[in-house]
Amino acid sequence: MEIKTTETGDINVIEVAGHLDTNTSPDAESAINTLIDAGAQKVLINFAALEYISSAGLRVLLATAKKLKASGGDLKICSLNDTVQEVFDISGFSSILTVSNDQDEALASF
Amino acid sequence: MVRELSRSRLIWDALILGLIVVSCLLVAYQFAFAQAHALEGFQVVYLIDLFFLIDIGLNFVTTYRERGVEVFDKRQCSGRYCRRMLVVDVVAAVPFDLIAWALIGNGHVLGGSLVLALRLLRLFRIVRLFVILRRWEALSWSNPAVLRVAKYFVSILLLIHWLACFWFYSSLASGFPADSWVVRAGIQGADAISQYIRSLYWTITTMTTVGYGDITPGRTIEYVLAGIIMLMGASLYAFIIGSIASLLNSINAAKNRHWERIESVTEFLRDQKVSADLNSEVRNFYEHIWERYRGVDRNRMLDDLPPPLRLKVLLHLTEEIRQTVPLFRHASSLLRDALLTSLESRTYTPGSIIAHEGDRGKSVFFIAEGTVEIISAADNKSYGTMSNGDYFGFMSLTLDERRTASIKAVGYCEMLVLDRADFGRIKEEFPEFSDVLKQVSAERSEQLSGLVMDGIIL
Repeated sequence: MEIKTTETGDINVIEVAGHLDTNTSPDAESAINTLIDAGAQKVLINFAALEYISSAGLRVLLATAKKLKASGGDLKICSLNDTVQEVFDISGFSSILTVSNDQDEALASF
Repeated sequence: MVRELSRSRLIWDALILGLIVVSCLLVAYQFAFAQAHALEGFQVVYLIDLFFLIDIGLNFVTTYRERGVEVFDKRQCSGRYCRRMLVVDVVAAVPFDLIAWALIGNGHVLGGSLVLALRLLRLFRIVRLFVILRRWEALSWSNPAVLRVAKYFVSILLLIHWLACFWFYSSLASGFPADSWVVRAGIQGADAISQYIRSLYWTITTMTTVGYGDITPGRTIEYVLAGIIMLMGASLYAFIIGSIASLLNSINAAKNRHWERIESVTEFLRDQKVSADLNSEVRNFYEHIWERYRGVDRNRMLDDLPPPLRLKVLLHLTEEIRQTVPLFRHASSLLRDALLTSLESRTYTPGSIIAHEGDRGKSVFFIAEGTVEIISAADNKSYGTMSNGDYFGFMSLTLDERRTASIKAVGYCEMLVLDRADFGRIKEEFPEFSDVLKQVSAERSEQLSGLVMDGIIL
């Protein structure tokens, strides 16, 4: 798994590539937490290069969404591939989290 | 046209059945005991004749079934009736005695009158009794075994009655000679009812091979008659006993077969030194199967049916679950049918584990009836229950992860199971399946995400 963080205005964009599973989720979680601890409020996770997500990955997303909501921030997700989209649909996550088709659409929705 | 199994036709047939029995009893009785040569006392029989004449008219316009299809064509219906039953019905229904009386008066024949002999043609009505009972066998709510019992019972009753009447008539026709049984029994001058009772009594004691010997034949003709009646009685007796035994067996055939199966299974388990508790658990399972499915293996029964018929039966059997499971509610009828025909029905006993913690998901389970509990061995904690209409298994199947909790049956649970191969096939064949899944998961998103946060994957 690879994580790349960029900033677009006041929005922190995190690009996650590879597999987000039990082994890699803790790294992803700490990377996101570092951002939030540094004061990030608007977070966009771009999954364009994400090949697979497990339940551990889903838990990180939900925990992050809750944390940001509590501090008045917002988490958005974009660019899911078909496999990841299916996991989001079956688990009901596509209705809990805000998921956009691409990064531009997601950025505009903040 | 009158439909052969319509409610009105059934009521009419039931009335005709009653009238058949009444006229078969009355006509034979009046022939032997109430020797009224003239027409008085016979009005009831003529009134009954009217019903049978109307019945002939109705039979012309009553539909029939050929290779499972009801035929409505008037010409075909009446043509079939003319070929098969018209002659017998006309002979049995038309009052030929009345015609003969009008034409020639009371012509004497065999010590009785021609008019009275012609009245006996009405006994052919018994043929219609068999026709009606055979038609009733096609009714879904009728029990063929019960109808057969009714047929035997009425036939035997009428046979005994006719023989009793004929036994008395043998003396009457010869003008009660001194050595006839009627005179020797001293009932020549008795009233008709007493005479009938004595004749009936003799017929029954002879036919049932009891034969007290208080009434005996005296003349050659009576010996011949008694011999014939004894022979009929003996064979009838054997026939009745055999039939009743097989009927009693066939009425409860399914239940008997099921109990035999339970007995052999529990005996086998006893032989194998299986504990009494486990043995009684197996027995309880079979009893539940009997209560729920009357001993029928649902999956095998459905496999036997041709696909369109299987679907019709399935739609009926799953009526409740189709209403309660959101997946079926949101699916188009084509997708719903594809899902239903792929589901396998399974029964789980109380306390058994339906899906094991640590297993990779291979199936999706729909709860048709019963309650299940989500338990995790890791923290020995219950994560709630699910019941009728709930389902699980999609997460483990889609994420391809091992289940992190077990699903335990609280009581007896009837589950409908969709396996991985069918799930994949249907998803490929029906693109709408993914949308429907998304929709139903969105409705349960809070519960699903709650379980994910608790680390529960089912």
